Amino acid sequence: MTLWIVLALMTGAAVLAVLWPLGRAQSQQPSAETATDAAFYKAQLAEIERDAERGLIEPSEAETAKVEAARRLLASARRGEAAGPLSATAGRRRAAAVVALVGLPLVSLTIYLTLGNPAIPDMPLQARNDRAAPDMSMGQALARIEEHLAKNPNDGRGQEVVGPVYMSMGRFADAERAFAAAIRILGDSPHRWESLGEAQVAQADGIVTANARTSFDKALALDAKLVKARYYRALAAEQDGDKAKALSLYSELAAEAPAGAPIKARLDDKVAELGGKPPQPSGEAAQAIAGMAAGDRMTAIRGMVASLDARLAEKGDDVEGWLRLVRSYMVLGEPEKARDAFARGRAALASDQTGRDRLEALGRELKIEGS
Amino acid sequence: MTRKQRRLTLIGSALAVLAVAAGLILYNLTKTITFFKTPTELAEEGFKPGMRLRIGGLVKEGTLQRGPNQTVHFEVTDTNRSVPVTYQGLLPDLFREGQGVVADGALQPSGEFKADSVLAKHDEKYMPKEVAEALKQQGMWQHTGDKAKEAAPNAAPAAAKPGA
Amino acid sequence: MRRPQPRSRGPDAMVVEVGHYALVLALALSLVLTFIPAWGAHTRDSALMGVARPAAFAMLGFAALAFLALTIAYVDSDFSVLNVVQNSHSSKPLAYKISGVWSNHEGSMLLWVTILALFAGLVAWRGAHMPQRLLAYVLSVQGAIAAAFFLFILLTSNPFARVMPAPFEGEGLNPILQDPGLAIHPPLLYLGYVGFSVAFSFAVGALLEGRIDAVWARFVRPWTLLAWAFLTLGIAMGSYWAYYELGWGGWWFWDPVENASLMPWLAGTALIHSIVVMEKRDALKVWTILLSILAFSLSLIGTFLVRSGVLTSVHSFASDPTRGVFILGILIFFIGGGLTLFAWRAPVLRQGGLFAPISREGALVLNNLFLSAACAAVFIGTLYPLGLEALTGGKISVGAPFFEATFLPLTVPLLLLVPVGQSLAWKRGDLLGVAQRLAAAFALALAGAIVVFAVTRRGPVAAPLGIGLGLWLILGSASEIFNRSHRAGASLAVVLRRAAGLPRSAWGTALAHAGLGVTVIGIAATAWGVERLATMKAGESLDLGPYQVTLEAVVPRNGPDYRETAALLAIRDGDRLVGRVEPGKRTFTGRSMPTSEAGLLTVGLGQVYASVAEIEAGGSVGVRLYWKPWVLFIWLGAVVMAAGGVLSLSDRRARVGAPVRRAAPAAVPAE
Repeated sequence: MTLWIVLALMTGAAVLAVLWPLGRAQSQQPSAETATDAAFYKAQLAEIERDAERGLIEPSEAETAKVEAARRLLASARRGEAAGPLSATAGRRRAAAVVALVGLPLVSLTIYLTLGNPAIPDMPLQARNDRAAPDMSMGQALARIEEHLAKNPNDGRGQEVVGPVYMSMGRFADAERAFAAAIRILGDSPHRWESLGEAQVAQADGIVTANARTSFDKALALDAKLVKARYYRALAAEQDGDKAKALSLYSELAAEAPAGAPIKARLDDKVAELGGKPPQPSGEAAQAIAGMAAGDRMTAIRGMVASLDARLAEKGDDVEGWLRLVRSYMVLGEPEKARDAFARGRAALASDQTGRDRLEALGRELKIEGS
Repeated sequence: MTRKQRRLTLIGSALAVLAVAAGLILYNLTKTITFFKTPTELAEEGFKPGMRLRIGGLVKEGTLQRGPNQTVHFEVTDTNRSVPVTYQGLLPDLFREGQGVVADGALQPSGEFKADSVLAKHDEKYMPKEVAEALKQQGMWQHTGDKAKEAAPNAAPAAAKPGA
Repeated sequence: MRRPQPRSRGPDAMVVEVGHYALVLALALSLVLTFIPAWGAHTRDSALMGVARPAAFAMLGFAALAFLALTIAYVDSDFSVLNVVQNSHSSKPLAYKISGVWSNHEGSMLLWVTILALFAGLVAWRGAHMPQRLLAYVLSVQGAIAAAFFLFILLTSNPFARVMPAPFEGEGLNPILQDPGLAIHPPLLYLGYVGFSVAFSFAVGALLEGRIDAVWARFVRPWTLLAWAFLTLGIAMGSYWAYYELGWGGWWFWDPVENASLMPWLAGTALIHSIVVMEKRDALKVWTILLSILAFSLSLIGTFLVRSGVLTSVHSFASDPTRGVFILGILIFFIGGGLTLFAWRAPVLRQGGLFAPISREGALVLNNLFLSAACAAVFIGTLYPLGLEALTGGKISVGAPFFEATFLPLTVPLLLLVPVGQSLAWKRGDLLGVAQRLAAAFALALAGAIVVFAVTRRGPVAAPLGIGLGLWLILGSASEIFNRSHRAGASLAVVLRRAAGLPRSAWGTALAHAGLGVTVIGIAATAWGVERLATMKAGESLDLGPYQVTLEAVVPRNGPDYRETAALLAIRDGDRLVGRVEPGKRTFTGRSMPTSEAGLLTVGLGQVYASVAEIEAGGSVGVRLYWKPWVLFIWLGAVVMAAGGVLSLSDRRARVGAPVRRAAPAAVPAE
């Protein structure tokens, strides 16, 4: 309601700006137009005289200049007479007043009602933060953590929390710094060293650098069962060209992996690639891995995937997002959810043929039914 | 001087200046423009070494080598053909393997393209127009997504990070 | 600091919608402004003409209100506004939230039209003593331009579009745009571009009224000078930004975006000179009118070629057909309309005063010829590739070599002639007398060049020549002031008093020309620049011109919204520490791509410029280092030029036109 009062006042001000001059008594003299000219040329004459007095121009030049200016002054006066007086008729004034009084509000309101959103109030972020804190987005949460860490750089827990977030955003250098800080502040832990190594690998575009290897070695020294660290150690051997060692390490891991887990397929591929035979998993080891996968880390990852899901539900035209979501659910071992996401993505991308093709290609690749 | 002579002098000098300007523009246009070529065109049309050209395409994956004193070698590809490029100097911030790039320079007798300036994608939304169009023509257009976005799901389970 | 301050606004405040409505009202008022005063001027009805000024003020008020509302939405991170979502981020520092308003298409259009309304308001404010019909026509034209852009904004680029449900975070955090230079560059540039709209409106108004004379010239001149001064500053700011932010060490790249601002500047420079001829001698009328139309047309083309993306790609223009066609329509209407009106009405203009070829007028005609030719060269070089691509599909690029080879031969003769033209008398000049008066300045400039050449024997030849040219411009201006104040036998006190009594426009001219000389010296000195590329380890040193640069350490550190790996470099002259620079690579929050941040150390008027190319494993960094002696002269000269323009426009004579009863008493005490 207040909005409409404000808008009405604004319209009133605009109408007044046009009506007011129309209503004013006009005191314009017919000669007013030439008065400016006269003032100008008289000033020019005075200026020439001053210049001549001060010797800035020669007297003969000054004389011709004066004659010229005087001639123009006369010409201007003649023109003024010829043009005739200014007029002001009530009819025209009335027409203009109608335009201001009726046309102006009509045009403004028509356009505004078509384009505007009078029902939506302002939503400054500060006010919304207080009202809607639970729905904080990743970016906002990150901004808060970063702000906090900038003030308390020695908060090891904070560093440890922010590390995986950086990893998920592809900011590997920041992730490495965060994990290193966590180790420095909180001390050794197999998982911290493992995460640090992972960040280092990611930063080197997948190369297990010497630094990363040191990290994994430290992690394995603390806990020899760590799957990821062992995987990367195998990868390092492979990258070094030590096929025999890589094969034995991979085979060892593949033997422990539970059947059907995505990691199993990949390990089998690796083993096959290196010329070995994929071993059958032993029940115990499979249990161990399954247990590990349900660690804190997975919870965080699931949270991230869920937020991606929520975002796509709101804004569905993001092909990359849908591809990522489907792939993530498959990787997390939730084929139902992946299938569901796949179906929703296909619906959301109804108008984007290329996007849908890509999604369907992924569906075929991941053997999702209905693709 | 009469009124007419004055006017003729003015018009004459004006025409002289304009003629000189027009001559300069035309001469320099024919002399200094550079043609934009894709690696395929470069290979197929056959250019004399030393002719100034502008080439564009993607930096071919796995071809970037850094030498001493900020010399770099890489190949520019339009996914059909590729051309080796050498360049010494500061690479733009956004220069990456697999990203669009435009290089000015000349072909060497060895067949290598010696660049004296290299431009990468100007920002994340912008690709040098020649590159975008050349790739579009070949049906290879694809929005190269941000590395961060691509990396997100891969970072999830250990084994999804293939590395090599 | 990064957190938005809590506001006292209630939860249901409607600033955004009020701003949106203000924009609509500004459109309605611009339509009133377009038609009613023009109708009044046509029918000589003073009541209708009287609407012009209040309507212009009101239009300015509502445009400013709309702009303010959008700014508030940015400052408060109101993510229910689509434009804010796309171009802002809650973690941006406050200053960049504000500059974010015009860092995007919609916001920059709003800024553009707000400045247009500002100029209309200023003309209305200063126009109390202008001939009423001319004022009515001028404001009508200004209103018409504004109406076109208000419509364009509302229909195709509405910054007040809302989004529901509102996201909680914005997407706009382009670190390269977070820079003070870039933040104030667009407003300055727009003040220049849009300022020429006043000259355009005056030209069209005069053509409609059918009356153009010295009085017209005197009224339009201050506006043109103002626009020119802002454009000069805007271009200089843009050039300096590119110099330190892009990391290539150059100061002008002949990039289409830069050329787009150079073209109106060249036309505007020609215009401020031809207006002088018109004011003093009532000559060159037709040409001045044409230049007024062209200067603003080039401004329009400049803004919209850049904004529409047509320079980046002909095809991106077509990607948003509504906007592209709308812009094209506006360009065709105003440029084509202006030129058609010109072709139709120009023949009725009376011929003005006569002058000999060797005279101040003759020199200014030559100035205009060279400037227009240079402008045409830039125009052709910038648009030829687009035209060729549109017609034949062939792709070429016209780069710096073309512009250097074409622009320099057209500007160097002009620069050589500046001091001569400045000293020639009006109407009929005396070359011999000019030669005598300038002999001292010429001899000194030549001596300067020779001394510089002798000192830097092995250096490039172009540099001393350029320095000589710059000195010639500066000394020529000084000698002009001296000659106008000096008479044989006069004492120093008399000379000084007379110099102080010279009109401000004379000082302004001299200052602007001297500023040009300063810029020329700065450009010439770039030939002595030193560039080094090297990979350095901590502790290593290398020579850079007169200095030694040592890499002290490579350190990581944190900024407000970025992380940085910085190379700490110490610059020494022998044993003396001159200063330190800390170039680095920055990674901004939410981005994976690092950006380079150059390090600058100003030593006198020269600068050491360092940027980091590559951070390598093991603590070594690839760096690019420059020593650029006197480089600041380039931008300093531009500031001096702009100051000259402002000084000239503040000349009290520019305000004449007030009725005699006011002007006369004011003139006496000023003596």
